[in-house]
Formats: sequence, C-alpha cells, structure tokens
Amino acid sequence: MDVINGVTLKNMLLVAARNLEQQKDTVNALNVFPVPDGDTGTNMSLTLNAAVKELDRASDAEIGSLTKFLARGSLMGARGNSGVILSQFFRGFADGLAEVKAEATGEDLARAFVSASQTTYRAVMKPVEGTMLTVARVASEAAEEAAEEGKDAAGVIRAALLGAQQALADTPNLLPVLKEAGVVDAGGQGLLCIFEGFWAGLTTAPEELEVLLAEQLEVSTKPVEAVQIQGEVLVNKYCTEFIILGEGIDTEKVRTELESQGDSVIVVGDEHVTKVHIHTAYPGQILQYCGELGNLTEIAIDNMMLQNQEFASHKENHRLDYSANVDNVVGFPQAAVQSNEATEVGVVAVVAGEGLAEIFRSLGVDYVVTGGQTMNPSTEDLVTAVNSVNAKSVIILPNNKNVIFAAQQVKELVEKEVGVVPTRSAPQGISAMMYFVQDDPLEDNVAAMESSLSEVKTGEITYAVRSTVAGDLQIEERDIIGLAEGKIAVVGSNPNDVACDLLDSMVDEDSTVISVYYGEDQEAEQAELLGEALNEKYPDCEVEVYAGGQPLYYYIVSVE
Amino acid sequence: MGKIHVVTDSGSDLSMEVRQRLAINVVPLTVQFGSDIYKDGEEISVSEFYAKLKAESEMPSTCQPSPADFVAMYEAIAQPGDTIISVHLSSKMSGTYQSAVLASTMLDSDIQVKVVDSKSASMGLGLVAATAAQGVQAGKDLDEILADVQQAVDQLQVYFVVDTLEYLKKNGRIGLASALVGTMLNIKPILTLVDGEVAPFEKIRGKAKALKRVRELVNQFKEKFPDKSVRAALSHAVSPDEAAQIQEALAKILPVDGEVLMGEIGPTIGVHTGPGVVALFLYAV
Repeated sequence: MDVINGVTLKNMLLVAARNLEQQKDTVNALNVFPVPDGDTGTNMSLTLNAAVKELDRASDAEIGSLTKFLARGSLMGARGNSGVILSQFFRGFADGLAEVKAEATGEDLARAFVSASQTTYRAVMKPVEGTMLTVARVASEAAEEAAEEGKDAAGVIRAALLGAQQALADTPNLLPVLKEAGVVDAGGQGLLCIFEGFWAGLTTAPEELEVLLAEQLEVSTKPVEAVQIQGEVLVNKYCTEFIILGEGIDTEKVRTELESQGDSVIVVGDEHVTKVHIHTAYPGQILQYCGELGNLTEIAIDNMMLQNQEFASHKENHRLDYSANVDNVVGFPQAAVQSNEATEVGVVAVVAGEGLAEIFRSLGVDYVVTGGQTMNPSTEDLVTAVNSVNAKSVIILPNNKNVIFAAQQVKELVEKEVGVVPTRSAPQGISAMMYFVQDDPLEDNVAAMESSLSEVKTGEITYAVRSTVAGDLQIEERDIIGLAEGKIAVVGSNPNDVACDLLDSMVDEDSTVISVYYGEDQEAEQAELLGEALNEKYPDCEVEVYAGGQPLYYYIVSVE
Repeated sequence: MGKIHVVTDSGSDLSMEVRQRLAINVVPLTVQFGSDIYKDGEEISVSEFYAKLKAESEMPSTCQPSPADFVAMYEAIAQPGDTIISVHLSSKMSGTYQSAVLASTMLDSDIQVKVVDSKSASMGLGLVAATAAQGVQAGKDLDEILADVQQAVDQLQVYFVVDTLEYLKKNGRIGLASALVGTMLNIKPILTLVDGEVAPFEKIRGKAKALKRVRELVNQFKEKFPDKSVRAALSHAVSPDEAAQIQEALAKILPVDGEVLMGEIGPTIGVHTGPGVVALFLYAV
C-alpha cells in the first residue's frame, strides 16, 4: 500500500485500541513490583479508547483533522503516567500529520512517528531509557530509515512495528529493575500493542475488519465513577453535552460565553466540529445560544442532582451536624459561617477508600476524586474536579506516583491557577494538608506543603501477585509484602506481622506519631490488635489507628 | 505626685509569689459549675478546679467582674491623687476590660485610672501587668510605663498548644481556629492570638511534635531578633513537664538575668482551654 487514506488510518487506530484492550491484563501484569495495583495496561487502554471515540466526531476525508481529534481525545482521557505519555505520543503524531489532506505517504507517517517520539521525550522531565520512550524512539528511527530507503506507507509502518518489537525486548538490558523483576517495560509493551494494531488494521481484509470492529463495540468503556459533588448547593445541576456542526465556529468565544452560564465548561474542537460540555442551571439557554452557531447533535442532558441523590443526602446530614456545632459557638458566629464567595485556594485530592476520603475532607479538601491505586483518574476527571471547586486557585494532591503526571497536565487545561504538590501516598497528602492555609496565596501554600513531604515516611502492606525476587527477598505469589517508600522491604505471611516488621525499619528516635490506616479487606479488630502491639513496642510514639477503607492494601502506615 | 498602682484580673494566671513581689492587685473573675459560683483563686484553687472539671459532666462558664468589683478594688488601693494602671484580658474574649472602663468613670474621688486592653490572656496578660509593675518599682514615670506597656501589647507573640479544641469551641472562644474543628485526626494545633482573638498558627500531628515545634519557634525568635533582649512567660494547665521543655529552650536565648515568668493556668482561662495546655508568650525589647 503506497499511501493510506483517512478511512485506513481510522481502522488502524480502532484495531490498535481493540488490541490494547485485549492485551491490557498482560500489560498490567508487567509491573516491576508484584503489587496488585499494576494498571499500566488499563490506563493506556482507557486513554486510547477515549481518543478513538473522538474519531467519530471527525471526518474521514482529511487525515490532519482526524488526528487532531485523536490528540484532543487522548489528552482529555489521559489516565496515569503511561496514559499521559501516550496522549503526548498522539499529540506529536497529530502534529506530524497536521498538514496532510486526503492521503499520507510513508514519508508523512515517518515524520509523524518521529514527532510523536520527540513529544513523549519532551513530556517527561527526566527521560529514562528502557521505557515506552525508548520503544517510541526506536520505532520512529526505524520508520524514518524505511522512508529514506523509499519504502511506502505500509513499509514504514512495518518497519516501525519491527523497531518497537526489538526495542521492547531490549528494555531489560537498559533498565536494571526490569531485569531484576524478569519483565519487559509495561508501557513499552502497551505501545507495541498499538503498533501491532496499526499493522493489523492496515493488512486485514476489509470484510474481516468489519467483523473485528463490530466485536469491538462490546469493549467496556470507562465505568461511571461516583462523582462526589462538594461545596455548596448544586446550582448547576444539569450536565449538558452536545456537538455543534457549523462553519467558522469561534471556540474561544463560545467558551467565554458559556463560562458565565455554568461551570466545568469544556469547549474543544475546531471551526467545523465543536464539542461542548457544561454544568448549568439553564440547559435551554445554552442550547439556544449554541443552536444559532450551527446544527446541534448528540445532545445529552443529565440531572446530576438526582444522580447524586444518595451522596447528596449524606452530605445534607453532614451539614446539619456541622451547623449544630456552629450554634454552640456563641460569640463568634462570623468566623464559623460558611460563605459562598470563592476562597483564595481550594484543594482537590485523589484518594482511594471512603475512610481516607473522609479524613481528607475533614482536613479541608474541597473535592475528593476517587481513585489512586486501582483506578487512576483521568486528566478530565481532575479537570472537572478543579473546575467544581469554588476557589480562585486550586492545589491538587495526587497521593500516588502514578497520578502526579496527569495532575500536572491539568494546569494547561483550566483557566484557574493550578498547583500540584507531588504527594506519592495518602500519608504525604495528609502531612501536606497540615500546612494548608486557605487564605494564603497558592505559591506559598504549595511551597509549605512541599516542604512537609520529607516529614513523613510511608509504608504499605499488600500481597504479591506473582513470585519474584526483590533484592535479597524471595517472594512467592500471595505472600504478604511490606513496602517502605514504595520499595519492598519485608515479606511474611500475616499482615500484622509484616506491618510490625516494616515499622521496625521505619521508626527511629525522632519519631513521634505512628498512624495506621486499615483497608477495606482488613478487620477493625486486627487493626486494633496491631495498634496495641505498636503502643507497647514504641512507648515514645503516639499510635493512631483509622479506618482507611482503601482497596488492596491491608494497611497503609506512616511514621513522622 | 501620687503613687502608681497596678491592677489586673485573674485571667493573668500570675502566681501568688509574683503578685506579692511585684505588688500587682488581682480582681477575680468568677467560675460557675451549674449553680455553684466560685471566685477564681479565692474560693477555688487551681487543683480543685481541674479535679472538678474532670468530674463534672456539665461545662463550666466564667463571668467577668462587675464594675462595682473594680470600683471596690480601685478605692481600696488608691488615695486621691494616685494613678492606677488596670490591665485586662483581651476585650475580644471577655467583658472584663469593659467592666474596668465603666468602673473608671464611676469613681468619686480624684483617682486616675488608665485601663489597658492587653489583647492577650493568661501569662501574656501577666507579662503586660508585670511590665507595668516593674516600671513602677524602677521608679519610671507614668508615660514611660505606659509606653513600655504599649510595647508589650503590640509586640507580644503567643503560641499555645491545646490537647483538644472542645473547650475553646464550647465556650465560643475559638475565633478563627474554628476551621480546625472536626478534623478526624489527632491534631494538636499550635494556636496563636491575632488582634486579641484565637487563630490557628500550625496544624501538627501529635503533642510531642507540637512541643518540638514550639521549641523551634523559640530559637527562630532569637534568630529574628539577634541583638535584642527577649522577655518571656510560660503558662501550663496541669502540664509542668511539658512547660519545662519549653523553659529549657527559653533559658538558652534569654539574657543571663532574664526571668521567665511561670504561671499555672487557673479557672478563668482553664474553663476555655481545658487541661493539657502549654502556652508561650514572648517579645523583643
């Protein structure tokens, strides 16, 4: 095939998404640590699915426009570090094809792969070889070489695939932790799945493709997460989404206009096809305004208040409790009354577990995004959260190393000033909240909160999902393992014993507080026993036990 | 030219020894448990108070002295032609200052009363009163003494650690620290006073860490004013060992002859803060 057209490119992307979806568990299993939260495959797959979904909005006729939608979709749908890097890959890929009209040559595709590789490298602060970056780069180099040799479109894609395969096999030689764990890089594997999908999409006969892609409709899309709407009364209760098809749509102008009529405003697209998302009290007005700009399609209006009824009733009780307390505070009512005015700084925290979520809320977090260890929130989830907070600027606490990157992407996607305090665990997030002062400027808060991160040590107790060797430790599948600051430090057969051993390595003479947050699979009684044992063992420390409710981790512990 | 007298209230937590040594007169507030009313320091001691606080389920309350109580004190200590410097609890926290101001207008005889709002409490108020009394003993004139007192009021830094915010909250003295109420963790906030009102300074997990932080604040204070002399006071509620930790840090930064005024938090303040409080007051001159 000398050149590819829009339809073929779209097929390639759809097959790639399907292939990644099918392979995601294999990719998940490639976690360097044998902990049960490997989700690289899931994150990449969800990101790509979000990206290809946008393709429906674009016309097949023009490759440049098609890939622009692909890039936007992946940017908004990005989840986890690997998802964010993948979104940058597609952003670069789209840049490389921006000027291409009906057909892309081998040279065009090689240029797109090179641009994709370069964008991924630029997206990370310290590029590490032996990761999906290497896979992207080697694939692009192979594609470039093939194009220089005069290969056609198919030849270039085949070269990229072979380059990616070779690069992936080589990742353990470049990155010692992979070799030690006996795995190839998960993100690289995910990217290879995409290249494989490209090749399959290109070479599969049209009638087979039709069957293949029809099956793909079964692919599960992003599960609906419990969006917990915080803050005051939900005024903008109608989540309104639609697409405007028109001529010369000024997306900036639309966004500015809609901004005054609701919140969580997202306007993406170009002058012909624009996607609008807004939470508003008056969906009718929005439709009327946008209807004058072109034809409206795919209109969806949901009442979020009814969707969140259960949560709202819980919240209402909470508020009544609160005001009952306030009434007792005679003499200082002005200090206790909640105001509707935007505060200087608000906080969004990513938290897994209802207990930990309650703790974060009680510390002044405005909006808790559920997720972290098992399900990384997408950049879009974080954008929605940031837009929902009634504050002039917003701090995001990712509370997981795999969410930090997605959180940083939010800065470019919202109008509010956003600061990210790179918390890698819930205890770090809690520690950071100790330094949060609502009325201080964003940068002061971020600086104070960042300085707190070294004050707390985090330990996690979970189980091994496969047998492996970590340093001197031989680990069997289902063993209980203890991680100190993310590194496996202790192996055992019982969560309480492992927690005790792990804390032994974490507590020193300067320690004053030991906190234990027990997970949803651990009994409160066991946690209390652990607390008593720790109290006895460390008489100089205050030991505190809380229900964290986090999945997969029997305990999250911290020492400060 | 008449004499200058110093009057304060029982919210100053000055010990008997200091009151006598510096000739400071104290008007008691009253503390009420149910229907029983006690004059602070006269009808209830510090230890009796905390034992009662622990035993009784009902929250006690305090009541400011009446203007008549002040008139009685003023007329008892001063002769016509004398001047009284009357220093009191922050007017944002108590009506005591207001009572004293009213009393100052009710005197028949030729006694001049300068009523001062300390904008502080406990040994912060104690330190302001002591400053006035020390000025009197040093033979300074009224304007000099009032300038010293004003300096103490304006410059005084306050840091205190409470075991629980319950007492501040229930008695409506929590001020700007209300945001700290309801946190689920065992937070030992370091509180301060801003313009005479309780405000949060820092949130800290665990008392040991909070006290360590207060010791750090002592050292930071000296670093901030390396060439100045520091005046300091400490008070505590049934926590002598913890107060001693802070005193140790203070000893290192004070001039050789510098004294740390120590006081036990009595019923007037204790009603609002509960047991386990350690409070530091300091300023540079």
